[in-house]
Amino acid sequence: MQLALDPDIIACVTAEPTLTELNDIEALDRIYRSRLLRFVAYSTGDPDLAETVVQDCLLKAYNGRDNFRGDCAVYTWLAHIALNLVRDHQRTRKFQFWRKVHSTAPDISEMSQVLPSHESSPESQMLARERAQQVSIALETLSLKQRTVFLMRFIEEMDLQEICQATGMQISTVKTHLHRAVKAVRFKLGGRIE
Amino acid sequence: MNTQSEIERSHLTDEQFADLLLGTNPSAVQAHLKACTQCAEEAERVSGAIGSFEQHSRLWAERRAATRPALARQPAFEWLYRPQAWAAAALAVALAAGFTITAHNRRAAAVPADGSQTATAQTPSVQAPATPAQTTLPAAGQSTIAQAEPAPRVSPATLKADNDLLSAIDGELRAGQSTPASAYGLTVAVQGIRTRSNGMINE
Repeated sequence: MQLALDPDIIACVTAEPTLTELNDIEALDRIYRSRLLRFVAYSTGDPDLAETVVQDCLLKAYNGRDNFRGDCAVYTWLAHIALNLVRDHQRTRKFQFWRKVHSTAPDISEMSQVLPSHESSPESQMLARERAQQVSIALETLSLKQRTVFLMRFIEEMDLQEICQATGMQISTVKTHLHRAVKAVRFKLGGRIE
Repeated sequence: MNTQSEIERSHLTDEQFADLLLGTNPSAVQAHLKACTQCAEEAERVSGAIGSFEQHSRLWAERRAATRPALARQPAFEWLYRPQAWAAAALAVALAAGFTITAHNRRAAAVPADGSQTATAQTPSVQAPATPAQTTLPAAGQSTIAQAEPAPRVSPATLKADNDLLSAIDGELRAGQSTPASAYGLTVAVQGIRTRSNGMINE
């Protein structure tokens, strides 16, 4: 398992090193656990596997914090580690992985019981829930790479450069995957496909 | 300048739509959105759905993360808390014990084969002469059993002849020398003492 980012995929300095949080595993856990959990859960479609991966990811990051050179954001580095762990799981347990994608994906209808109070009306809440559900279903139809870059861009709000660093892909590849993912989501939401 | 019909005929392509969602809005796309309500509504619907998904998934992840115990600092002797470390240690101990027992058994099995250490108390033998430092006088009535050195095998006839000779010498010595006990008319029965300075006899 590779802990440090490959030198060839690090093109620019995007963030100041925040080594203090890396030196405190409790802070690392408090700040990044839920973000990583969401990313991994929707990448794998398996919340239980996501728990394990996030746990491993945080421990690996803490134990290998000396390898963090500070030339990207901490979350980008963590996402890179998490992504490698997801790939490892894919390689070792491919059958179980794909079987679980469709059986235990995070259930939007469950999570939407806790809706933010600023939603205007029950109708709009219902509509928002349905649309979120459609996006979730559309994500299940994507390949792992498409889903990963979609989640990183639109859910984690990482910029393209950070996605390149976390995934090790070229920017043109990232854009291609993003376009395909957006096309699938757009289609699922009833959009016009050319 | 495009007419309304031309705009409606050429809606946003997938790439333009993706660029719009990614936040790169070329002027042509902006112009199209102003003129085409269909594309504008679709863009709003898709971006709203993604926003809803982001919100819902964030809430789900926060709730899920809150129900799990947080990671604690790693203890200094982390390996003490790992069952694998204990299993490895137990395996190492078992292997070491196995090797030791095997080696001991092999050594024990090899000894009778050459017969070098098979001397027993029941084997009548005449011992090699002992050095003064190693000589010990047994108590009266106690037979001397030497086990430190392997004794050469002696035939019973030789042993009997030796014993007769030694008995004769004893008799001569007793007859020729006066002891303090005999000087005072006392009789001391000494039996079973076979040890001599020049050797021991076992029966």
